[in-house]
Amino acid sequence: MSLSSALERLSTYRTNNTRASQETFEKGCQVLKAGSTPNLGDEGWAFLEQLALASIDVGRLDIADLSLKQLGAKFPRSPRVDVLTGIRMEATESAGVVLQYYDELMDADPTNVAAWKRQISVIRRIGRYEKAVEELSNYLDTFYTDVEGWLELADIYCVCNQYTSALQALSHALALAPQNPFTVLQFAETAYTAGDLPLALKMFLLVVDMGERDLGTDDPPVGINIRGWFGVKLCSRQLVAQPNSPSASNTPISKNLKKIDELATERVLVAYRGNRDTGARQVSDWMAR
Amino acid sequence: MSSYTISSQAYFKIFFHAAKHPHKAVNGVLLGNLANGTVSIDDAVPLLHHWTSLSPMMEIGLDLAGQYADSVGMKLVGYYQASERLDDTTLVPVGEKVVSRIRAGFAQAVAFVIDGEKIGTDDAALIPYISASSVSPWRPFSGEMPPFSSQSSQFRLASSDLPARAVEFVRDEHRHQKFGDFDDHLENVSIDWLRNKECLPETL
Repeated sequence: MSLSSALERLSTYRTNNTRASQETFEKGCQVLKAGSTPNLGDEGWAFLEQLALASIDVGRLDIADLSLKQLGAKFPRSPRVDVLTGIRMEATESAGVVLQYYDELMDADPTNVAAWKRQISVIRRIGRYEKAVEELSNYLDTFYTDVEGWLELADIYCVCNQYTSALQALSHALALAPQNPFTVLQFAETAYTAGDLPLALKMFLLVVDMGERDLGTDDPPVGINIRGWFGVKLCSRQLVAQPNSPSASNTPISKNLKKIDELATERVLVAYRGNRDTGARQVSDWMAR
Repeated sequence: MSSYTISSQAYFKIFFHAAKHPHKAVNGVLLGNLANGTVSIDDAVPLLHHWTSLSPMMEIGLDLAGQYADSVGMKLVGYYQASERLDDTTLVPVGEKVVSRIRAGFAQAVAFVIDGEKIGTDDAALIPYISASSVSPWRPFSGEMPPFSSQSSQFRLASSDLPARAVEFVRDEHRHQKFGDFDDHLENVSIDWLRNKECLPETL
């Protein structure tokens, strides 16, 4: 692969926030070897930051340290480089040392939000979930619009089996980003896990409605919508069997359950058209149970 | 107590699943049979890597994997899981639930947690969890002979070079990139999560 195409790929990874660490590392080393980093201008520094993170991910701390050294020389006292240094420390230092380091960063600069978020992630990593929830809630009081923060909070609640609290956190994420089908899907799956089938069904239906609004009726579902239809099928079948299923959210159950159930079966099977050997038979048996 | 043998196919698949998502928790189920007091774990079917603590897709995946096992003359005999963090080797509550459910159909059910500290080495990177009865908790196996330590251990690999070969496959041939689980399949149904033939060496 040529240098320019490697750089282009790396830039796409940055834009899309893709965590393809191995690929980033390999292409990054190619750029590093070519020795052209200083000639890349601003992009060169963004690249070095990206390479440092990927190197930490794949365990090549030597390359991470090399990148960090160059970044530190160019941007002394940059909060961004400081946090990157913290992430590098997380790879080898104890949690106590790292937490104290982030404390110092925040004392020096109370607006260093990234340091606060890293600190919370370390607290979670060492299993202090209650403390992580407390800190993250404080953080979200100040930075309410951080969707990622709400999703992280929901995830911690799920790990602790607190699905109702997880749903509350997710509803903030949904209010902030109502057009994101992945958040709706996560909400649906969490509602199902919490035992609120009517709510789960409603949200799975919202997923496929968002995703297939502009689709012809004969087009097979793709991507997230396949998962959405599987969810619709799972919920509607159980609700047909138990029409009085409880709903903590008091979500009404559609009167057209049977039709929804049939439609879900049809849509999932359409997705398998032409894909006979990858489980289509198991799926059609499962649908017919 | 029964003994357990893990085939090369099952070991490679578990390994590839963990290697494909190094910063995430992953899980899946194990397929096999019981013969003469030995559970042979012949195959693995990978389930999730997205939201491993949420249940709807897990339920569907378990049903489908069970039906697939039936169709090839095997049973669901166990569960495996890799944690998000290298040093975390606890069997999560979801894992306990799944393996308990598997035990309802197969009394000798077993769970394995991937040992992050051993995954790049020549040792089997698996920690077995067993439960003495249907009311006792799942605990790491603690027999006199450590698991995978010799051919007379209660837990054995079909061949002692499997860990080293798995590392080579990932490092030199990137075979884990061709591996797909139920989460992948739900986005693209042409991904063959039940068999994953493409990522295995042809000689297998």
